[in-house]
Amino acid sequence: MISKLAISNKVSHQRLVLGAMAFLLLVLAVLSLSMGAFPIPLSKVMQVIFGEWLGFDGVSLQEKNVLLQIRLPRLLLAMLVGGALGIAGAALQGLFRNPLVEPGLIGVSSGSALFAVIFIVFGSSLTFLSALGKFGLVGFAFIGGLMNTFLVYRLSSQAGKTDISLLILAGVALNALAGALIGLSIFYADDAALRNFTFWSLGDVGGANWEKVMLMLGFSFLPVGLIIGQHRALNALAIGESEAFHMGVDVQRTKLLILVGSALVVGTAVALTGTIGFVGLVVPHLLRILFGADHRLVIPGSFLAGAILLTLADLLARTMVAPAEMPIGIITAILGAPFFIWLLMNVKKIRT
Amino acid sequence: MLEARNIQYLVQGRAIVNKVSLQLNPGELTAIVGPNGAGKSSLLKVLAGDYKAQAGEIIYNGKAIENYRPKDLAKIRAVMPQHSQLTFPFKVKEVVELGLLSLGMAGGEQLVKEVMIETQTWAFRDRLYGALSGGEKQRVQLARVLVQVWAGSDQPKFLLLDEPTSSMDIAHQHQVLHIASQLKRKDIAVLAVLHDLNMAAAYADQVILLKEGKVYQQGAVAEVMASQHLEHVFEHPILVRNGYDGMPHFIQSLPVHHQSHTFKIA
Repeated sequence: MISKLAISNKVSHQRLVLGAMAFLLLVLAVLSLSMGAFPIPLSKVMQVIFGEWLGFDGVSLQEKNVLLQIRLPRLLLAMLVGGALGIAGAALQGLFRNPLVEPGLIGVSSGSALFAVIFIVFGSSLTFLSALGKFGLVGFAFIGGLMNTFLVYRLSSQAGKTDISLLILAGVALNALAGALIGLSIFYADDAALRNFTFWSLGDVGGANWEKVMLMLGFSFLPVGLIIGQHRALNALAIGESEAFHMGVDVQRTKLLILVGSALVVGTAVALTGTIGFVGLVVPHLLRILFGADHRLVIPGSFLAGAILLTLADLLARTMVAPAEMPIGIITAILGAPFFIWLLMNVKKIRT
Repeated sequence: MLEARNIQYLVQGRAIVNKVSLQLNPGELTAIVGPNGAGKSSLLKVLAGDYKAQAGEIIYNGKAIENYRPKDLAKIRAVMPQHSQLTFPFKVKEVVELGLLSLGMAGGEQLVKEVMIETQTWAFRDRLYGALSGGEKQRVQLARVLVQVWAGSDQPKFLLLDEPTSSMDIAHQHQVLHIASQLKRKDIAVLAVLHDLNMAAAYADQVILLKEGKVYQQGAVAEVMASQHLEHVFEHPILVRNGYDGMPHFIQSLPVHHQSHTFKIA
């Protein structure tokens, strides 16, 4: 009886933690909608969101437009991208059984960056690239990310089995190759293209609109669900691949699901917002240090914590140097790195 | 019943497991004994389904191993590996609970507690796995695989142990093999790779003596654990005193400098 109580305690404790994180995200979201270069009082934010019931009395058209056309899509994009990076980082760390893994390791970020720089530098001179139109950069970067991940996967798979240590090496090799090709493209770039690419690579959710939000939502909804469903398999994998197989996990299926799922969500995120570092590496660690290693909590928790981190970073990016904006990738690192160092120094105190 | 017929496992053309046939019956404890590199662990991994045998068949309860999905195989066979390391900070109890994975979660809590008390791991259930000693880790892993086969069911189950006692003190070695022999009452067949010949002689019903991938001798303890067989397989002088008055066989290896002397006498 006592132990039965204990396990339901653990589950309810996990639900409580997830609930608290969701609440924090919500509070941050409302704050983020209200603050910025053009402040809008909280009451008016509520009025616009719940417009149907509260009415739009006293809300100017400008305020409504800023909220609905600029801030809300931007906020949602930041949340979705942060969540995607966090959950992909957690799942890949679990799959590789290595806490140093970040989503970029499977080649998706470098592949996207390579295709992005090709588009930015040569886009105007290559007719088939300019024919891609409005979402040319996004689509092209997305294809690049998936292609590179596919190459990494093929290089490390033989006879239907994927060797995880080979996968890490293949990832490192292809990342280096992509880095060299990016350098080559930059060599031929003019000043404008160079500046464009530099800012793209620092990450930015500034260009958010509803179409991008829908793209991100569309491409990440199913993969995120599938990854969350793998939490038991990931727990078993923490002991080892053959042990997981002994416990009844279809290891190859789990590998494929997590690789494809992560490549999809991260590929979409990088294509839409550029490379935002640090979230995928740090967020899962943060959760493990604070709440333990059970993937039932770490996987969904990483989505929420990633969303919180990126929402906060975007809020700071918009307000710190207002009316100008700081690239969000700089903020995540400036904010995240010292916090992470503090956390590492206090690991023992927190976990005992 | 687990039946292996003429299984062969090759690595780069070399037979690591060479035409081995064996049979594991529920209610029996089978020990695999042999020198380093004899193919003991490889044989266990082939039987477990980790490695695919290039020739021969492995049949679990009348159905070939290839026809099982991982999930269904896990319902009837559990495997305790030689070493297990965890990268992430899991608690002891969380590790043992992983054994429930193939069962579904209902009623698992009582099962976990029962097994953890049996394996003397309940006392440190809330500690981090990484902070345990080698022997404690092995007991936790044993608890995890026991959870997988503990509950009764309508078909025989199989427990494969790869050197389950290698890092344990003498009392815990006996305790683990005692638990393993108790499992025989549960319609479970136990297969254990063992290094300690005395442990094998004391607890096994059937002994398989392996040398260079082949079965050299196979059968009851009294037949297999004879001095001439062991000396041939290990290429070392070994003395066996037959058990009497309910005492098990007593097997002693002699120091190397006795070698020429002993062989002269023999």
